[in-house]
Amino acid sequence: MEFPAALFPSYFGAGPPREEGGPAPAAGWGEHGQVLEDGSDLGRRQAQPAFVPRRGGTGEMWEPAEAAAVPVLPPGAGCWIPSPAPQDILYRNSRYRKLRPGKSGATLDFAKQLGHFFLDHPEDAFGSMGRLLHKNFYLGNSKLKVSVSLGISLLSPTIPLAASTSALSSLQRPARNSTIRMTALMEDIDRLEARRGCQQQHLASRLRWFSHLCRDWLFEVPLGLLADCLHEELMLQWSELLFDDSVTGGALAWLPPRDTGSCIGCLVHPGGQAMNQLYFQDMVLEELPRARGSPAQFELSGRIRQVAAAQVDEEDFVGVRSDYHCGVWRVPGRTGAAPTPLQVIHTDVPASCLTVSPHLPGELAVCTQSGTIYLWNIEIGLQQLRHDTQTMFFRDHSPWRWSDFTAHPRVLSCADRTGLQCLDARAPRKCHFDLFKVGEEAGCQQGERVVLPMYLGRAHPAQYLVTTQFSVYVLDERLPLVPMLKWAHMMKAPPLFAQLVPGNFGRSHKVLLGASRTQELLLLQYRGDTYWGSQSACQLAGAPQKLHSIAGCLQHLPTQLPHRHHLLQQRLGAPAAGGPLGLGKEEEEDGEEQTFYLSNLEVIINEEEEEENAGTPAPLEEAELPQESCASSQPTPAVPSPAAALRYRRWLRTLCRACKEPPQHTSSPGLSQRRLFTRRDLEGPAGPSALQRQVRQWLHQVMQEGGRIQRWEPLALQPPALPRPLEPAGGLDPLSTRLTAAWSGDWEQWWEERTSFSMAQRQRVLRERRQRQKRARGRQSLSASFTSSLTYQSELSELSDAAPPLLSSGHPPVLSQESSPPASSPLPSSPAASPAPDEALLSSQSLRRRGIPKERRKTLRDYLSVWAEGPPDPPELPGSQASQLCIPSSQSQLSSASQTRRKRPRMGF
Amino acid sequence: SSHEHKLNFKKSKEVCLSYIQDAMLQKQWKRAAEFLTFYVESLEKDYSREHIGPSEMIWRIGTEILCRHSHSSMREFNCFIEQMKTLGIKRYLKICLEHVFHLLCNGQIDEAYQNLSLTESWRFGDQTAIQDKEMKLIQAYRGLLDYYSWSKQKNILLEHSLDGFADLSVEQEMHSCFRKAAVNLKEIVKIPGVWDLFVKCYVDLLEFYGDHNEARQVLNEYAYNSKFPANPNAHVYLYQFLKRQGESKKSLVSALKILHDIVPSHELMIDFNTMLQKSKKRKKHRLGLEVIFAVLDYAGWKENIKAWSCLARQVKQIVISEKHLSWIKQEWNCRKDWWPAFHFSRYLAKRNWQENKSLSYEKALVAGILLGKDCKYFKYVSHQGRKAQVKRFRMLKKFVNKHNPVYLRISS
Repeated sequence: MEFPAALFPSYFGAGPPREEGGPAPAAGWGEHGQVLEDGSDLGRRQAQPAFVPRRGGTGEMWEPAEAAAVPVLPPGAGCWIPSPAPQDILYRNSRYRKLRPGKSGATLDFAKQLGHFFLDHPEDAFGSMGRLLHKNFYLGNSKLKVSVSLGISLLSPTIPLAASTSALSSLQRPARNSTIRMTALMEDIDRLEARRGCQQQHLASRLRWFSHLCRDWLFEVPLGLLADCLHEELMLQWSELLFDDSVTGGALAWLPPRDTGSCIGCLVHPGGQAMNQLYFQDMVLEELPRARGSPAQFELSGRIRQVAAAQVDEEDFVGVRSDYHCGVWRVPGRTGAAPTPLQVIHTDVPASCLTVSPHLPGELAVCTQSGTIYLWNIEIGLQQLRHDTQTMFFRDHSPWRWSDFTAHPRVLSCADRTGLQCLDARAPRKCHFDLFKVGEEAGCQQGERVVLPMYLGRAHPAQYLVTTQFSVYVLDERLPLVPMLKWAHMMKAPPLFAQLVPGNFGRSHKVLLGASRTQELLLLQYRGDTYWGSQSACQLAGAPQKLHSIAGCLQHLPTQLPHRHHLLQQRLGAPAAGGPLGLGKEEEEDGEEQTFYLSNLEVIINEEEEEENAGTPAPLEEAELPQESCASSQPTPAVPSPAAALRYRRWLRTLCRACKEPPQHTSSPGLSQRRLFTRRDLEGPAGPSALQRQVRQWLHQVMQEGGRIQRWEPLALQPPALPRPLEPAGGLDPLSTRLTAAWSGDWEQWWEERTSFSMAQRQRVLRERRQRQKRARGRQSLSASFTSSLTYQSELSELSDAAPPLLSSGHPPVLSQESSPPASSPLPSSPAASPAPDEALLSSQSLRRRGIPKERRKTLRDYLSVWAEGPPDPPELPGSQASQLCIPSSQSQLSSASQTRRKRPRMGF
Repeated sequence: SSHEHKLNFKKSKEVCLSYIQDAMLQKQWKRAAEFLTFYVESLEKDYSREHIGPSEMIWRIGTEILCRHSHSSMREFNCFIEQMKTLGIKRYLKICLEHVFHLLCNGQIDEAYQNLSLTESWRFGDQTAIQDKEMKLIQAYRGLLDYYSWSKQKNILLEHSLDGFADLSVEQEMHSCFRKAAVNLKEIVKIPGVWDLFVKCYVDLLEFYGDHNEARQVLNEYAYNSKFPANPNAHVYLYQFLKRQGESKKSLVSALKILHDIVPSHELMIDFNTMLQKSKKRKKHRLGLEVIFAVLDYAGWKENIKAWSCLARQVKQIVISEKHLSWIKQEWNCRKDWWPAFHFSRYLAKRNWQENKSLSYEKALVAGILLGKDCKYFKYVSHQGRKAQVKRFRMLKKFVNKHNPVYLRISS
């Protein structure tokens, strides 16, 4: 472990950062930084000294082998809903349109979200009052003098006040003196919506008096409390949209091949609908890496945020972090051996970091958002090293903490947004030193914050990587505070993932940086002093290089229908949750041509869309392996190789099969009503009816005889033809209807409608469904409020164990329902007329579904009791119910000073 | 309207920049250069108040492209930089400095020197703090180049003096180089920073002219001034200087003791340990044991045979003499919960035996004494040694068996 004989010159100052600035587009280019006399050949003896630059030297040449990223694993199953976009949360007004998100001017669209709640949960919002008053509110167009007739309440879905479940009640009695006409009020509201964004808004006086009159008593949930919670949730969503640090470190790990000759490694990644399944997938590294066998699978009780791995004594230890649980697995050395879960801990406050020691088996570092750092040894247990809610060097609001190991197995680094310190675990209070400070010491900029620290032990035992939103730093713990290397990385989003591919034998070390939201991937090369070889100071080698992002493979996929394309675009463009990984390298000396091999791989995890119901799992996972196999003499290919093209096709086919029905409104994630109904409802008529049988028989006969059909016997019926995509001759519906339906993916549904023979019967079924739907809606919890656009990313699956997932939806797609046609009209686009049942969904989910209504009621009760009691503490989760399904053995509790749970607004829980 | 035009212009500038960025990150230098020619237009209406303005961006991007593109020549590069110097007047010094770096890395030392001298005389308005720093660096690098020409002439002179000639002009030139170098280098090493290169050269100059006091003062300042970062090299240079001066053991030990406190894993710690071992004082021996234990705490030393043999020798001595067993006990106490897994696991025994038998011998000796004869590491190695019929492993086993009570005393 030699220290470089001479370091690059640099100034050293103390204090807060002086340099102003921010993200600068070209800041990383064109600098040599400093120069140093080349130590490798001790230039004294030469006539002239030779100099090496700190930056700008030559590095290895890497060329992409494929035109774009190639998927390695089949896409995860489950229907997918895109994560909330800024336009879902932000107030869209012409005045604000110019403002980019992130600027202080961004305004949250509070009113719209509250509106969503009222529309989606009329029962929760106005249930009892609505029931009391609905007789007194008249919503028809005619004058009140006319005695009111049946059918009013059928208008209900648009008007929350009348959305009562009570059967059609008799409004026959003279209603004049106790009934008011609300139509004008509704019109005013509509007009208000139309005028949105108008500079001179003045409320109609009618609306004003109405709200003045009703504000205090109309709402079931006190408006102030509801608004507070909603606002808090909106803020949370918005800040998460801007920067979500829960995925720091990445939920993807690679366990390299054990034997040098072997090419089988293991990929550890999360999956499943709630990202709560842990997979250990064996991978064969060939020209295009491929999966081998089926993965070992564990079900966890929380969404997996981070997967960390380290190899000690030829055994891999894999640490898995979810919000409130951390677990550790051991993967034995020999190939094919099954991973064994070792231990799990439960934290009261969400954990923000889990790293595995590269020195000692079964040792990990855990940090929680309460500012506590633990050394976790699976034999000894937990040892608290530090508890400090304040940040280290200056005040920063972020509760994020990180910890990693250093060259000394007993010394751990601990980081917050302001810097890094190293503590000796044997005397954490006394022995510590500052490793990195956001300040003048490292030449930081104002506003710079630590995003991800990483121990670079595999490259050099004393080196450390620190990334901020502007720069990357390489530090040496023997010379703290002064970065050995600094480079402005120019990435659009802060690098949350980093991976080291150590270059032994004089080759450069590679660092892969990855961002979550923008899917950026950057390959850096640097040379540090090697173990016992030459002792030169750290230099950046070669130019930084961008690797293919996941979304880049879209253009190489087979051409899709526009709506499919859009869907794919959203899916592939979803924020990455892990990676990049440098998989491995092979070097082939083949004449003059050198072939390197490097793959990076990431799991796209669509930032989880929990529908607000207690755990309707919707997210999906897919692993993609954009592969960069590089040959210095080959130019970048423009089209994917045949093997890659095959992968694309296969991946796409699996994906299409998995989500057979594309969402009906891809832009706004609506909730299908399909799962509201029992299997029988969806099955339709039990077999061909007598009439159908007759027709079929007759058709058969005619065909056998080779005769001709002149005319259908029963005129009223349509031919019960097979559902082949052929237009029946002389279709009664206009062609455009069908095309529209086919285009939007509703073709099957359209077909069903056409083939169903009795209009009257259909109407009856519809009416029944509508009533059932209303009843079901009543059961939904508050949490299902901000339907489409708002979700919240929390412990979906913790709940999902306690409360089996509710039907994905009880809701018509959002606001569009406002203008839904009256029930009496045929419903070509109504979601109630469901497409054919999805076997998979029904079989697996219908079982879990049974417990729900009760559970939902309980949640609602819990929620309501909270505000009844007084000032709202964030209500407790039934944490004990969050059972570990896989993890046996000792469960130790993290004792934490603050017993409060994660301070998140929990609408409805 | 003009406002809209301004916005559109800004937008197209941004788009153009993102194309350039994209091309550069994919190493498409030619494409990037083409886009850069369009981007030059952005200079026309530069309303930006960003801290990196378009002129600086053009300089940075252009430099990078010219450095990376395989077909660019040095002449083109110089030409481009000269233009940039007039364009980016605010960053003139920075651009000059980077130009010098480029020349130096390409071996054009004389051109670099010329550039430095030119730049030194540049004045423009009030100097900002950054410009001040950059100017100091420029002077320092000029001093460095002066030092190199001094050392070149010194070598010529030394060769000639061997031949019996004494060239007066060369000698004069050498002295003038010394003066120029010393003035500039002296300035920079006063400012807090990492100046390894400059300090080494300056000390070399001073030593040559016999100004040992000044050299010592510079090195002391560099190592012990608290405004400077805790640079291990500063201590190493001081130690080497003291050694060259033939200083007493005591001062060498105290210099290394401070280095040990800052960087316990430094490679000089082996020398330090040997030095302490040779001493006659008991206290020094105690410190030596502490040093060598501390070195082996670090992952980078895990398989270093030198360090292990130092430890093995010292432990053996202590065990044989049966004095100071408490020292071992003390050191071992804070390590016994993690050293067995870190150093003496069965896996490591296997691997060490396969890769380096001498290493496994030294480690087995330490393991046998610290952990007793039943420890996994010792058992494996002595078993393998017996199988391989190597004599020293038989001796090792005998030794450990004989001194097994020591283990009991240490672990109690």
